Amino acid sequence: MEPRVRHFVRNSEKAFADRQLQVALSRTTAKFLENRAAAVAEFPRFEGARESASRIRQEALDNLDAHLARFITEARKRGAVVHAARDGPEAREIAARIAKEEGVSLAVKSKSMIAEEVGLNGALEADGVEVVETDLGEYIIQLAGEPPSHIIAPAIHKTREDVSRLFEEKLGEPYTEEIPALTRIARRRLRDKFFSAQMGISGANFLCADTGSVVLVTNEGNGRMVATLPRVHMVIAGIDKVIPRLADLPVLLSLLPRSATGQALSSYVSVLTGTKRAGDAEGPERLHIILLDNGRTGILQGKYREILKCIRCGACINVCPVFQSVGGHAYGWVYPGPVGSVLAPLILGLPESSPLPNASTLCGACGEVCPVKIPIPGMLVELRGDEREQGLKTPAEVLGMKAYASVMSRAGILEAFQRVAGVVSALLFKERKIERLPFAFSGWTERRDFPAPAPQPFRKLWKRQRGIRPWTR
Amino acid sequence: MAQKRGISVSLFSTCLADTFFPSVCFATVAVLERFGVDVRVPLSQTCCGQPAFNSGNRKEARRMAAKFLSVFQGEEHIVTPSGSCAAMVKHEYPVLFRDEPRMLSLAYHVAGRVFELSQFLVDVLGVDDPGSTYRGKVTYHDSCHLKRGLGVADAPRTLLKAIRGVEFVEMEESDRCCGFGGVFSVKYPHISCRMADRKIERILETGAQVVTSGDIGCLMNIGGTISRSGYPVRAVHIAEILAGSEGAVP
Repeated sequence: MEPRVRHFVRNSEKAFADRQLQVALSRTTAKFLENRAAAVAEFPRFEGARESASRIRQEALDNLDAHLARFITEARKRGAVVHAARDGPEAREIAARIAKEEGVSLAVKSKSMIAEEVGLNGALEADGVEVVETDLGEYIIQLAGEPPSHIIAPAIHKTREDVSRLFEEKLGEPYTEEIPALTRIARRRLRDKFFSAQMGISGANFLCADTGSVVLVTNEGNGRMVATLPRVHMVIAGIDKVIPRLADLPVLLSLLPRSATGQALSSYVSVLTGTKRAGDAEGPERLHIILLDNGRTGILQGKYREILKCIRCGACINVCPVFQSVGGHAYGWVYPGPVGSVLAPLILGLPESSPLPNASTLCGACGEVCPVKIPIPGMLVELRGDEREQGLKTPAEVLGMKAYASVMSRAGILEAFQRVAGVVSALLFKERKIERLPFAFSGWTERRDFPAPAPQPFRKLWKRQRGIRPWTR
Repeated sequence: MAQKRGISVSLFSTCLADTFFPSVCFATVAVLERFGVDVRVPLSQTCCGQPAFNSGNRKEARRMAAKFLSVFQGEEHIVTPSGSCAAMVKHEYPVLFRDEPRMLSLAYHVAGRVFELSQFLVDVLGVDDPGSTYRGKVTYHDSCHLKRGLGVADAPRTLLKAIRGVEFVEMEESDRCCGFGGVFSVKYPHISCRMADRKIERILETGAQVVTSGDIGCLMNIGGTISRSGYPVRAVHIAEILAGSEGAVP
C-alpha cells in the first residue's frame, strides 16, 4: 500500500465530508466499545491477564533472536520451509517465487495486515496469480478496490447499504440490505475459489517458538479453510509475532478477542503445526513461512521496543476519538489509529509520517485499553520530541516555544506580559472573548471563541487583596 | 464542617487560570480557606511546561519543569485547579528528568505532593460536603488527565452532589475527550472542533444549565464552542461551583 500519511489533514477533511463514512464509523466503533466493555466487566481477571500478557510479550522481545531461532528449528522439523525477508520488496519476491515454484494460478487469502504492509497481493497479481480475499470485510473492499480502514474490521467504513450496492454492481446480485443474505452471497461466491485454489495465504496472530506452530484467530472460519484446503499454505508474519511457548497462548487468547470484538473467544482458533502428516485428515502438503523484518529489528533496539508487544487487537483504534472522527483511511497507511501513529514513523520514517504522532489529544484512552500495556501516549510524545531533535518542526513552532520559555522563565516577565495583555484585552474584547486569533492560531477560532486575557491577572489581584507589594515575586 | 487547622497549601495557580480566569484561582483559595487551610501563593511560579512537553519540545519543557521544582520544592501540599497540570508534574516530570538522577529525585519528591483540588478536598481533607450553595442543573465532564492520568473521577462527583441547590446529572461519554489536547487544538482545529461538537451534543442531551470540569483547557474548548454557537448552557470551573462564587474576583 502506497503511504499517503503526509496528507493526513486533507484526508481527514475528506472523511468529514463523507456522511456515509461518519454513519458507519459511529455505528461500528460504538458497538465494538460496548461489547469490549461488557466482555471486560464479565472477566474479573482482566487486569491480571493484562499483566501476564504484557510480561509474556516483553519476554519474547527481550530474547527475540533465541525465540525466533527456536521457532524456525521447530517449524522446519515439522515440514515447513521458512524464509526470511528483510523488507517489503524481499517479501514480495519470495512470495512470487513460491507461487511460481508451486505452480499457483489461484490463491485464496485470509485477512493479513502484514500482507498489506508489503503489498503482497499486487506482487502476486503482477505475476498472473489471482488472489481472492476470503474474509468477508476484505472480500468487500477487494471488490471495491480499496485498502482496509481498520486492522480487524477492514470494511468498517462501509455501511450495509454500501455493500448491497457494491454486490449489485460488481457481482450482479439482486439488491438486499439483509446482512445474512449478503453473507450468503459472499459464501457462495467464495466456496468454489476455496476448492480450486492451489495455495492459501494467511498471516499469523502468534508464532509459538517451542512447537513451531502458527496460530490463527478468526471468526469466519475462512482462515482454517485457507490453511487446510489448498495444497500449499503460505504464511507471512512479522518477526514480532513470536511467543516463547504454546502454553502462553491461553492468557493471550483471553485478551485478544475480548479487546478486539468483545468476544470471550473468537469463533475459531487454529493452531497449525507443520505440514500434513501420514494419517492426517487434512492439512497442506507444503507449508511456507515468510518471516518479515521490515524495520522491526531496528525498532527492537530503540526506545520504542514495546510497540512490538502489540497483538493487533485494534482496541486502541476503536477507542480513539480521533480515529472515530476521521476513520482509518485518513491515516494513509496500513495501521491506523494510535498504534499506527507509532508504527508509521518507525517503519516509514518520521519525516514521511510527521502528521501522525501529533494527531492525538493525548487523552490516554488507548493506553488504558491496551491489553499488553503499551504506553502509547508516551510514545507519541516521545516521537514529537524526536521531531524537534531531527529538525522536523516548523521554524514558527520552534521560535514560538523559545519565546514561550523566555516569558515563562521569570514571573516578572510573565506578569508584565499579563498586564499589557490585560490592558489591550480590556480595550478590544469588551465581551471577554476573542473571535479571531492570528497566524497559526487562526484555526482555533474558526468555530470557537478564545477567552480574552483577564484585565488583571490573578497574581496582581492576589497581591492587592492580601496587601503584598505590587512587584513582589 | 471539618476544619483542618494547621494544614498549609501552596496554590499552583496554573498560567492559564492566572492569565485568563483569575476567578478560578480565587474560588480555589476560598474553598480551601473554608476548611481552615492556610493557603499560600508562591508568586515566582509561572507555567508547568505542559505545552512544551506535549508538543515534544523537551528542552523548553525541562527548563519550565526545573523552574517549577525550584519554586515548589519544600512545600507540604501543592494544590491546583487543573487535572492536566497536576498530571504533568506527577507523571511527566520524571520522564523529563529520567537521565538526571538529582533532578529525578526532586521531581519524585514534588510529584508526591501535588493534588488536584477535588482530589485534595476528598482524599486529604476528608471533605464530603463542600458546604456551599449553587443553583442549577449541573453535568460533569471528566478531563482526560484528571480521570485517566490521576485516576480521579469520584471525588468531583461526591462534592458536586453534596452542594445545596445542585441537581447533578451524568452525561453520556463523560470521559470522552472534548478535543482540546493543547497544541492539538491549534494543529488540528478541524478534528478538535468535531470532537467538541460531540461533547456539546452529550452535554445538551442532559438538559443541564451548567457543564463543569476540573481542567481549564477543556473548559476553554467547551466554553469557546458554546460561546460561539450560543448553546443554552454555561461552562463553569468546578472550583467556582464549590465556592459558589462564579466569576468573582476582588
